[in-house]
Amino acid sequence: MTFTTLPSPQIDAGRPPRDWVLVGLWLSLVIVAVIWIAPFVFIVFTSLKSTTQVMTTSAFSPPLEPQFSNYASAWARGRFDTTFVNSAIITAIKVPLGLFISAMAAYALAKIPMRFGKLILLLILFGTMIPFQVMLAPIFTMVNGFGLIDTYPGVILPYLAFGIPYQVFILHGFFRAIPHELSEAARIDGASHFTTFRRVFLPVSLPVLAALFILDFVATWNEFAMALVLLQDREMWTLPLGLSAFQGQFSRDYGQLNAAIVMTVLPASIVYLIFQRYFVSGLMSGSVKG
Amino acid sequence: MASVKISDVRKNYGSVSVIHGVDIDIRHGEFVVLVGPSGCGKSTLLRMIAGLENISAGTIAIDDKVVNHLEPKDRDIAMVFQNYALYPQMTVAQNMSFALELAKVDKATIRQKVDAAAAILGLEPLLNRKPAQLSGGQRQRVAMGRAIVRNPKVFLFDEPLSNLDAKLRVAMRAEIKGLHQRLGTTVVYVTHDQIEAMTMADKIVVLNAGRIEQIGTPLELYDRPVNRFVAGFIGSPAMNFIAGTLEAGQVGLKVASGAVVAIGPYPAELAGRNVVFGIRPEHIHVVETGGLNARAEVVEPTGSETHVMVEAAGEKLVAVIRRRITIAAGDLLAIAFEDGQGHLFDAADGQRLRLT
Repeated sequence: MTFTTLPSPQIDAGRPPRDWVLVGLWLSLVIVAVIWIAPFVFIVFTSLKSTTQVMTTSAFSPPLEPQFSNYASAWARGRFDTTFVNSAIITAIKVPLGLFISAMAAYALAKIPMRFGKLILLLILFGTMIPFQVMLAPIFTMVNGFGLIDTYPGVILPYLAFGIPYQVFILHGFFRAIPHELSEAARIDGASHFTTFRRVFLPVSLPVLAALFILDFVATWNEFAMALVLLQDREMWTLPLGLSAFQGQFSRDYGQLNAAIVMTVLPASIVYLIFQRYFVSGLMSGSVKG
Repeated sequence: MASVKISDVRKNYGSVSVIHGVDIDIRHGEFVVLVGPSGCGKSTLLRMIAGLENISAGTIAIDDKVVNHLEPKDRDIAMVFQNYALYPQMTVAQNMSFALELAKVDKATIRQKVDAAAAILGLEPLLNRKPAQLSGGQRQRVAMGRAIVRNPKVFLFDEPLSNLDAKLRVAMRAEIKGLHQRLGTTVVYVTHDQIEAMTMADKIVVLNAGRIEQIGTPLELYDRPVNRFVAGFIGSPAMNFIAGTLEAGQVGLKVASGAVVAIGPYPAELAGRNVVFGIRPEHIHVVETGGLNARAEVVEPTGSETHVMVEAAGEKLVAVIRRRITIAAGDLLAIAFEDGQGHLFDAADGQRLRLT
């Protein structure tokens, strides 16, 4: 009988072998990040430069003598004390209200058996298919007919009308995926549809609601075309309309313009940073076993 | 405690009929198991009792009060779902107190009831945990706790143990039965597992394709199945069936291979009739002399008993031998059917012919 010694597997106590796929992914991530960050760096740097510096230095060279006064001037010139408040009021009403209405509609369509439910959903989805540019003139006529030009409702209502369909579409899909036993358990426990919606469905939908909140906040905050048509009184202007004040025919103050852009973008970035932590999956875990 | 009376209940989805007139009487405090294969309508029937499905025709009465048009919450029932259906964002205590909170019960009473239910189910250390932090068995116990705190007239269980592993299932089975004995509440329990049905039920309702095949105590169903479906469904390993024609002179059953198999006495007037002979595995014995020649094909020792799959007279049969026996696949042996333990079913409609 012969015995052979099997070669013992090489155990490398050091670092694990390099995963080149992972390295490639990281590299592409860095490249994408640089591409996305570049304009922001450009804007922030430019916002701190005087017009002369803007013209004589490279776009990505840091401002050597930061002109913080650009911000104060931009605030005054863009009438930010008015436009900021208008934007804040419109967004603060429109975004939560729109989400709440969309969530209720999506719950009803997904969980309450009703005649023509599918037809109603189709009609709502049809709303997502119409480009709003096509509707600008009719909306103006309608809002004007109601005497709501240059009012908050005059702009909030059309915003709601264009925001709700796609939110209903997304939430409907999400609610349908929630096991029906959960709503049935609530029903047996004595919950009305509204209680089930509020106490059971809304809490488990936090991730999708947070995502929609961010998207809708940014879209509403930055909306320009409809506001331009519906808000003609400068006292009612929103931030994006205020920005247009920097783009006069003869003005070339890029420092101030970029300072205004930074101030406009900042609230949206803050909202994103606050709500992105709710982008966590697994809120449903433990509820039911699939 | 309450009685439940189901009278000529039907369920149609459009033109498709899934429950075809079902009558069941459930007495106070009875543990009734609805059992049947997938798609037989047992869960639909339970959901109709719960009020989660509309009743197309017939009536369901709880304590003599027809509840057809009552909302689930007004029926005084509690239901435990197969997949637990716990509210994921609430703690165990909040899950259990949700129904009482909605019923506007005062906080002290809620606390007291939740604590009592938690004590019964051993959930006290888990009251502040979320469902995601619990194991399958603990979640199922919370689901039961949620039902108990409401002190309902009827407990409805919809395959509550299907998602648990085998060991836990056996433990929870005993727990649910113990709970029923302690609380004495009427229970309607749906399962497709006939062992669960046999071990837990006071009364079993066997359903098939939306119809009741038989209602009876577990042993009635086991010993006196009214048709071939019930005979084959109840019992594990399942009853053996041999199709053939009864010979004159009580000599036995002529099977497909042409052999005549001795099946014990049967009425002379059945001679010449096409039948299916049923015999439970534990009523097939290995004998030293006489009997039917057979060849062991597969031998499965389980420790307490040995399952032997044999081929005899061209038929495949399963025998359960409850003594230590040394058999290997391929061995030749002789088997015999225990006298008086066979069942005869009509070959055409599967109905029981004679209580042997």
